[in-house]
Amino acid sequence: MSSSVADAAPERAPSGAPPAPKALSGTLLALVRREFWEHRALWVAPAVVAALMVLGALFATVKYRAPHADLSGDHGPWNGMTLFAVMQGFVSSPLSLVTSIVLLFYLLDCLYAERKDRSILFFKSLPVSDGLTVLSKLLVALVIAPLGVYALGLLASLALTGIWQVNAVLGRLPAIPGWDLGGWLQAELALLLCLVVAALWYAPCAAYLLVVSAWARRNPFLWLLLPPVVAQILERVAFGTHYIASFIAYRLLGVWPILFSHVRLGHGRAFALGSGLAQLDLKAVLTDVDLWLGLAAAAGLVFAAIRLRRYRDDT
Amino acid sequence: MSAVIEARGLTKSYGATRALDGVSFTVEPGRIVGLIGPNGAGKTTALKAILGLTAFGGELSVLGLDPRTQRDELMREVCFIADVAVLPRWLRVRQALDFVDDVHPRFDRARATEILSRTDIPMASRVRELSKGMVTQLHLALVMAIDARLLVLDEPTLGLDLLYRRKFYDTLLNDYFDRDRTILLTTHQVEEVENLFTDVIFINHGRVVLAASIEDLGNRYQQLTSAGDQATRARALHPFYEREVFGRVAMLFEGRSAAELGALGELRTPSIADLFVAKMQGSPNT
Repeated sequence: MSSSVADAAPERAPSGAPPAPKALSGTLLALVRREFWEHRALWVAPAVVAALMVLGALFATVKYRAPHADLSGDHGPWNGMTLFAVMQGFVSSPLSLVTSIVLLFYLLDCLYAERKDRSILFFKSLPVSDGLTVLSKLLVALVIAPLGVYALGLLASLALTGIWQVNAVLGRLPAIPGWDLGGWLQAELALLLCLVVAALWYAPCAAYLLVVSAWARRNPFLWLLLPPVVAQILERVAFGTHYIASFIAYRLLGVWPILFSHVRLGHGRAFALGSGLAQLDLKAVLTDVDLWLGLAAAAGLVFAAIRLRRYRDDT
Repeated sequence: MSAVIEARGLTKSYGATRALDGVSFTVEPGRIVGLIGPNGAGKTTALKAILGLTAFGGELSVLGLDPRTQRDELMREVCFIADVAVLPRWLRVRQALDFVDDVHPRFDRARATEILSRTDIPMASRVRELSKGMVTQLHLALVMAIDARLLVLDEPTLGLDLLYRRKFYDTLLNDYFDRDRTILLTTHQVEEVENLFTDVIFINHGRVVLAASIEDLGNRYQQLTSAGDQATRARALHPFYEREVFGRVAMLFEGRSAAELGALGELRTPSIADLFVAKMQGSPNT
């Protein structure tokens, strides 16, 4: 204020150099951990589903006996690896489905809830950039949660194999055929690559959800559904076409026909999983121009979400 | 040392409402500045501009940085409590310590723990389980353990009972404030905290009505209580505000000497609350 009294305040003693900013990786880790504190459904929902499946298998084997079931498939006898792969596929599908739904609501909520309860004012009082904050949410949705599902699927299928093994020893189920480590590793690698492809393909969807979440003043779910639904209706009424609907469907599912283009219909699923890597047409996916267009769109949308979080002033 | 905050002609409109209408002020280091004004005067908007939370017009430098473009750097030196109860309700006390410790280079966890140990706040509680007063205590504990050069508090004790309010300001003054730090505080409970401030800025309708240090206030403003003939003579000296108290008249003067007024009644330095009321009622309603 006035200089006459301000000189009563001595200058700030040089208290050494200012502490270096925290390492980016440490801050990012803290941000990711924070997401799992706030959105407990991210880990509770898949964990409950996995636990239910293992429990279900336990109860089923109490009732069901097939000690002499025929384990020969269309393409020769099953081995331990294919059994395991089938089991992991069986466990992973519901886990992925549940996690996808959880992630949908997570992404829609993560930049909206903090504005609604005004806790954004607390987070913005800390030296964490909006860019890093938004990226941490994308990281959770596209990397951490899928890897968690993978690990959980692995654990659950190990548990299921254990249950089978116990039952085989008790003579209630046929013994698990011999193991094929190389084949098993291939199946695991194939599963992980599917997750990578999914992360790349769904990145624009996730980024779009972040934009809606950062933009909506209320009811982000409505803001998610309304524009595409209205656009589709208008298109149908005005032109009688449904390009928007096919575009959305393509963006939601289009990558899988490309990835599995080698798989011929009529082949057994166990065979498809069993052949692991050979079944995936990674080259076709990675050279697909739509994948890269999608990633470019994702980058733009993430940038928009960051700007919205930085400048939206509605608290 | 250069000013902590240097604001020149800040403007901000919400639709047709001018929340900031050319606000200029300076905050020097080592001061406790009260930004005081009625509801809707533009206090919070001014703070949001300082903290880089909103877009605005005009020139503004906070610790030499522009809050519009250098917000991330600014937040290493500045700490703020925007309002009571903005701590996320799902957060546990222990998680709050973990999180701030992980992201803030100037956070002293041991100090925060020590401050918390003087309260009844359990480490395992979630924020939603705490009373409003406890949430404020928790937030204050986090902020006080951060070695920031500027602390900004926006109505930090709104809705708290007297005991918590008193404790809040005592802790702030005794355990946090020193000559290296600057505190900018908005409140409309002026009478309660007027002994806290070293400087005050009155703001109304988006404009600065008065900005002065407490020492200056004593030199610039006089409150005269008189009656009858003396009051008539005092009125000729153009008080800028007057009101009747128990049949006597209290008048506020600016820039009159004690010699001029002393003979006309009881003379004293007006309280900030009295000055505030006088300035707010005297300022034009635009």
